[in-house]
Amino acid sequence: MTYELLNGLSSAEAEQVLRLGTRLMVPAGTELFRLGDPADRLFLTERGRIRLTMPMQIRGREEDIFVEEMAPGQTVGWSALIPPYRFTLTAIASLHEARVIALPREALQGYFVANPAAGYKIALNLAVVIGHRLQLSQTMWVREMQRTVEVRSA
Amino acid sequence: MEMILMGLCVAVFGMGVAAVAFGAATRSVSSDSVVQPQLPLVKAAAPARFFSDRAAVTPTVPSVTPRQVPIEVLLLQIENHVRMEQAAAEVFIAFPSQAHLHSKTASPFVN
Repeated sequence: MTYELLNGLSSAEAEQVLRLGTRLMVPAGTELFRLGDPADRLFLTERGRIRLTMPMQIRGREEDIFVEEMAPGQTVGWSALIPPYRFTLTAIASLHEARVIALPREALQGYFVANPAAGYKIALNLAVVIGHRLQLSQTMWVREMQRTVEVRSA
Repeated sequence: MEMILMGLCVAVFGMGVAAVAFGAATRSVSSDSVVQPQLPLVKAAAPARFFSDRAAVTPTVPSVTPRQVPIEVLLLQIENHVRMEQAAAEVFIAFPSQAHLHSKTASPFVN
């Protein structure tokens, strides 16, 4: 199993990082975390899929709207490493039970201090994950804006 | 004699009908002549829509209004739309170009 957050690390380094975490089983439909919760752990998806949602008002009712789905190997909850350390989405196990590795922020930060070279690679990988999310979000936003402009100027 | 009486009755009835019709006609003229207050033109309120008001332009089947779509179906439509938009965004990120950025979507949610 390869994890996007651990790209470029030696197998020994990757093993050291993984040992910092604990495996969690998330039953289907169960929340891993909720928007607004304190983010003190980052998760690596090991099995199953994690749905990320955001709330939206539909017909006067708050509904969780699908935003993204994370597959095995992907990183969930990078808010744990970025101030103000609050989750900005809700994460739920999809149709099947999911398994994740929960990495506590303090343990990770301690590892980065002790192993700056590995910490630098992980930070770069995290930048790739966040950058990709940003590019996706701004592209989708511009596409929606374009449609709105077309409808309004029609 | 009977014919004369019958003719008289018909004539009286006809005059009555004519009088009623005249009264009605003059009443409607007088009410029309009253100056009506100028009311501001208000656009009919459109029903709330998600993302797009294209639904107002395209004709819809009267028996299936957005209100009648079950919420589960609506959520599924939104999810499919997000997935399709994400796929389109991935293509743009891989091959950035104006054409890929604004490629038309086949998502039924906005079409």
